[in-house]
Amino acid sequence: MRTLLIGCWYQLLVLRRSPADLMALFVVPVNTTVFLAIMQHADRPDLAGHAVLAPGLMALWAISLVTCGELIDAERWGGTLEALVAVPARMLPLLTGRIVVVVTASLFAFVESYFVALVFFDVSISVPHLGVFVVSMLATGLAMACWAGVMASVFVLARSARIFQNALGFPFFVLGGVIVPVSYLPDWLRPLTNVVFLSWSSDLLRDALNPAPVQDFGFRLLVLLLLALAGGGLGAYLLSAVLRRVRSLGTLTYA
Amino acid sequence: MIKQVAPAVEVTALRRVFAGGKGLRKRGPEHVALDGVDLVVDAGEVHGLLGPNGAGKTTLCKILSTVLLPSGGMAKVLGHDVVTHTAQVRTSMGIVFGGERGLYGRLTARQNLKFWGALHGLHGKQLRTRVDALLDRVGLRDRADDRVEAFSRGMKQRVHLARGMVGDPALLLLDEPTTGMDPVAAKDFRALVGELRAERRTVLITTHDMVEAEQVCDRVSLIDSGRILATESPNALSEWITRFERVDALVPPELVSRLRTLPGVGSVSTSDDGRTRFETTEEGVAAQLVRSLVEAGVTTVTTSKPSLEEVYLHVFGGNGMAVRR
Ligand SMILES: Nc1ncnc2c1ncn2[C@@H]1O[C@H](COP(=O)(O)OP(=O)(O)OP(=O)(O)O)[C@@H](O)[C@H]1O
Ligand SMILES: [Mg+2]
Repeated sequence: MRTLLIGCWYQLLVLRRSPADLMALFVVPVNTTVFLAIMQHADRPDLAGHAVLAPGLMALWAISLVTCGELIDAERWGGTLEALVAVPARMLPLLTGRIVVVVTASLFAFVESYFVALVFFDVSISVPHLGVFVVSMLATGLAMACWAGVMASVFVLARSARIFQNALGFPFFVLGGVIVPVSYLPDWLRPLTNVVFLSWSSDLLRDALNPAPVQDFGFRLLVLLLLALAGGGLGAYLLSAVLRRVRSLGTLTYA
Repeated sequence: MIKQVAPAVEVTALRRVFAGGKGLRKRGPEHVALDGVDLVVDAGEVHGLLGPNGAGKTTLCKILSTVLLPSGGMAKVLGHDVVTHTAQVRTSMGIVFGGERGLYGRLTARQNLKFWGALHGLHGKQLRTRVDALLDRVGLRDRADDRVEAFSRGMKQRVHLARGMVGDPALLLLDEPTTGMDPVAAKDFRALVGELRAERRTVLITTHDMVEAEQVCDRVSLIDSGRILATESPNALSEWITRFERVDALVPPELVSRLRTLPGVGSVSTSDDGRTRFETTEEGVAAQLVRSLVEAGVTTVTTSKPSLEEVYLHVFGGNGMAVRR
């Protein structure tokens, strides 16, 4: 637990020194503006909730992909990974603390988006199902943190995966129902979207903004949490694989 | 009653092999970095590991610090096996890898030390006092709150040293700790090692600088091609340094042929620019050579200390120093 707090403290220091790690937060107002403009042009005020949620979810995913995905690799490049291995504290809680800070910071995107809508478009988003919204948002943050851990390890283990890192944004905006609800997508994509936690998150969050009653909330939340758990387990396993591999192959540093 | 203390470092028949080639498919021949190393470092000793590039010094340090797994043999730190008891090893050992990397450039020196200290289980007041004391000790008090990325190499090296000591380790592994230090800093460093010795800490220090090894160590192990060739006292080193001195000068050919027959003159070679190098194999011969040269009217004469490579060649024979890939 203490190691987790060290991770949080360290990541806060780093973020303060390099706000560029949260680049996607700067893009949020632009995206919100675009979506709201489209909405107004189409004269569909009922979609305001969609237009405000989408930039937030996009930022959440993008920041996890770029910033969390590089956490371990950056240590390796910096030559600090070896020293981290040689220290009594364990790596998993340290990494968890760092990811928690990054993901929490990226949740700020939703606040940004909300205020852009309010100030520039005079659109006030109301949340009819506040409880559902808060719980879904927390579960989304948790799931994102778990899957960010998976990314951090995958990008070290499979160096070629880094090449796809930049390309992993948009496909997941689609599969995660971030911009367009997955129910609008062709049916054959269903098996894929079902295992992407973002699709459950985005549907839940949108429903929470919709006055109509939220259907099957318990079940959908459970699926989201199970997907988070799967990500967390996979992330922990991959991290130990990373550590085992670097210790046996001796490729902790780039020579 | 005498308490039996385990040696700080105990290494037996240690091997480390790296897979050769690059990529997954192109498996080249295996590369042996450590080839049956036996080494004992007593508690409280300052032990040098002296060897040329690629000798296996860093590999040995990495294995001792649990960062790398051995391929065979056994290594213990303060009685704890580095493979099966990593937790105990990690709490009792500090490591300093040389070079500019390995610190968080965006953070200040103080923040760096606080981070690593926290990972060693320190917190609160204890952490702050330890960090302040270390900053003082390595002479960085005035720059403590500057970002490390703005530091010179030598200053970074001091932060590295402080970082290695932040866990109050009984064993400190220093891998080429003086690279990048100016002579003044290197002198401070020698004083620091003296203090560590006085505190009864064990220090294992790698270097390819014979003079440094001779000045700071209690004993020096000579390593090459993954094998320990010998463990010597610093006296032996200083004797070699004077015995195998070399003399360079522009010398007329007939004088060269006369001088090369002098007892104690080893190999003599003349380079393309006409300079001749005499390597001596006995103490005092260098001085005698210089005298003869000056008497013969040769005035630009330089003497220099032998390189580690030359000493290895003299002491351990011809194949001592094949450049390894
Ligand atoms: N990760 C690795 N993969 C493959 N070979 C390696 C690896 N690390 C070291 N080696 C090889 O092992 C041998 C010993 O290397 P090591 O770094 O231990 O030498 P060293 O004595 O520290 O040298 P230097 O004085 O240059 O630091 C070298 O030949 C090196 O090429
Ligand atoms: Mg080395």
